[in-house]
Amino acid sequence: MALNFHMQGFSGYGVQYSPFFDNRLAVASGSNFGLVGNGNLFILDIDPQGRIHSMNSFMTQDCLYDVAWNELHENQVLVAQGDGSLRLFDTSLQKFPIAIFKEHSKEVLSCNWNLINKQTFVSSSWDGTVKIWTPNRKESLRTLQVQPVMQSQLVDNTIAKTNGSRGTISANKNCIYQAQFSPHDENLVMCCSGNSYVTLFDLRQPNSNNKQQRFLAHNGSETLTCDFNKYRPTVVATSGVDSSIRIWDIRMLVNLGPQSQHINSSAACINEITRAHELAVRKVAWSPHHPNVLLSASYDMTCSVWQDLSYDGSRFTMKTNSIDSSKGFIKRFTGHSEFVFGADWSLWGQPGFIATTGWDGNVFLWNGLQR
Amino acid sequence: MSQRLQNIGNHLSGSNGQSCPITSKRPDDIVIVSAKRSAIARGFKGSFKDVNSDYLLTQFLIQFFNDLPPEIREHQDLIQEVTCGNVLNPGAGATEHRGSCLAAGIPYSVPFMALNRQCSSGLTAVNDIANKIKTGQIDIGLALGVESMTKNYAAVNPLGRISDELKANKEARKCLIPMGITNENVASNFSITRQDQDKFAANSYNKAEKAVKTGLFKDEILPIQLPDGRIVDTDEGPRPNVTPESLSKIKPAFIKDKGTTTAGNASQVSDGVAGVLLARRSVAEKLNLPIVGRYLAFQAVGVPPEIMGVGPAYAIPRVLQDVGLQVKDIDIFEINEAFAAQALYCIHKLGIDINKVNPRGGAIALGHPLGCTGARQIATIMRELQPGQIGVTSMCIGTGMGAAAVFVKE
Repeated sequence: MALNFHMQGFSGYGVQYSPFFDNRLAVASGSNFGLVGNGNLFILDIDPQGRIHSMNSFMTQDCLYDVAWNELHENQVLVAQGDGSLRLFDTSLQKFPIAIFKEHSKEVLSCNWNLINKQTFVSSSWDGTVKIWTPNRKESLRTLQVQPVMQSQLVDNTIAKTNGSRGTISANKNCIYQAQFSPHDENLVMCCSGNSYVTLFDLRQPNSNNKQQRFLAHNGSETLTCDFNKYRPTVVATSGVDSSIRIWDIRMLVNLGPQSQHINSSAACINEITRAHELAVRKVAWSPHHPNVLLSASYDMTCSVWQDLSYDGSRFTMKTNSIDSSKGFIKRFTGHSEFVFGADWSLWGQPGFIATTGWDGNVFLWNGLQR
Repeated sequence: MSQRLQNIGNHLSGSNGQSCPITSKRPDDIVIVSAKRSAIARGFKGSFKDVNSDYLLTQFLIQFFNDLPPEIREHQDLIQEVTCGNVLNPGAGATEHRGSCLAAGIPYSVPFMALNRQCSSGLTAVNDIANKIKTGQIDIGLALGVESMTKNYAAVNPLGRISDELKANKEARKCLIPMGITNENVASNFSITRQDQDKFAANSYNKAEKAVKTGLFKDEILPIQLPDGRIVDTDEGPRPNVTPESLSKIKPAFIKDKGTTTAGNASQVSDGVAGVLLARRSVAEKLNLPIVGRYLAFQAVGVPPEIMGVGPAYAIPRVLQDVGLQVKDIDIFEINEAFAAQALYCIHKLGIDINKVNPRGGAIALGHPLGCTGARQIATIMRELQPGQIGVTSMCIGTGMGAAAVFVKE
């Protein structure tokens, strides 16, 4: 049983429930599968009869890839646009944005609002930078440059052995697919990129890339998505082209020594769901209601809900999902008929409601915990 | 637009079912926390001639845990299974070796299993523990192999009590062929000359002699204290100055006139013990245990009993197929030298670079304490490999089998 809204002529890339209204969603979309043409921001309302209708929409000049509600203002919503800009819209107005933030030189692929210091938001781009912004300034507060990865640095022990395509750096290595503020620490920003690395920035440090902590998350294949656990401040999930979901404890970052002036670390992967999907995973999101439940959305047109077996709600179990025949699998949603790009958990009502969107132009609302 | 399309294209082409590099680290890897062995003593006249396998095992376990960090030494109850390979003791030593575990201080709550798959028993014990970790049944397990050929080789008929009905069966009867004769079959069927065998055997002696002299075995050997207080920590098998010529003077042992298998080009009768502690990586990292290597895969295959020595030639390709590797991808092979002829056959059949085989000598020089050998090879290969390198251990198995396993050094 799923509620559905179809965005005629547009493919969905990002979706987020409003933090202020229990029946409102924002969806970022693009025409022609987000490859070329206009974008459209849909503001969707769910009526008491369970029907979804568009309460407002904003056409943009280029495709939209992500969306984030302003945590301080119930009518404001931010979008990440293909032309390198971020735009802030007021849902009570029409047509035009109330602010434009244009610094990125290539597609902006993600945007995320700081849940603690609600004056700031973060964006990540194909241009290889992460930027920190505040709504009241046109210029960014800070630009974080992800340390470029030399071929020889990337090819550490774990990759050196194979020459397969999985071990080579992909052509998309500069893309920073997602950047996110920690929900536990207003100064901590995590991003993941096409060079397979996940980088952690602490904004209290001076702006120098040799203070970065980073780890190779997916053995050289692109890391497309990352998410902070909402209950466990040191636990993050990542996934990407290798279609495995990995869960990390960022306390277990080990400094690899002084051979480079940069801090190169290897992290301890505490759990893995191997081949969680048949194709690359585009989005992982931890549940806002459970410390050990997460959601994944994939190019294989499905979304899955998993239980992280390495944590039983109070302590680490040292179990891994990949040894479990069921892999901690809770539910698979198969309503989409194309790649699924966006997914978000509802904060409202009965725990478990999920919104997903993808290339088929559909927005589906379904319950991920009802089997 | 073309860049955006290319970007998404890369996401799809990257995930077309290829597996990750096998040397990449995963939380559910089965890792080797420690792999150690005792010195190998010569049978009947060596240092262990007056003690039985249970004594060797007890002393070894005491040393083995002393050598481990307190996270496991002081919490031995974290071990959820002990599997011990043994060939010659009655019932594979199920009773006395459980007793050894208790005598060494392992709590009674840790279960024990005795196992016998002939010469592969030590390796099969590792496989048993690894499988239990893989399925999630256990998190940490200890695989052992122990043999006192001195005490048990002559005492019991290794073939056991076999009924006349079985002896009458043509196929079953092949399982009763003495090992030396099976090797003569390999040598004559595949034309492996006495000269080649002696050359191979002398090379094994020379490599082992050099390894002992330069202390290469120091790290893998745990000292065993005898009841009289003497400490044994050096292999007794290797002899100095062995040459193909000196070996050529030894008379054939199994077929008097035309035989090619001699005491010089066959494995020695020996006593020894070895152990491998395995854990899931997520557990080892949580407990901060050392990780020396990783177990990748194991396979056993059946071969004709009358030429059982060809076992590795079939087991190695079978296990490499499972992990998607080829012979040329392997950095070191530890292939048990039950006999020079069968080892040579396997090396040639698979086209293995002979310089990659048993670089510190094999059972011809070091000895072949039957149930211990499979675990002993892992202790040795973990010191031969460099981090990131891949190694294979393998052996032939009496009654017609071969076993092989793949390991990565970390």
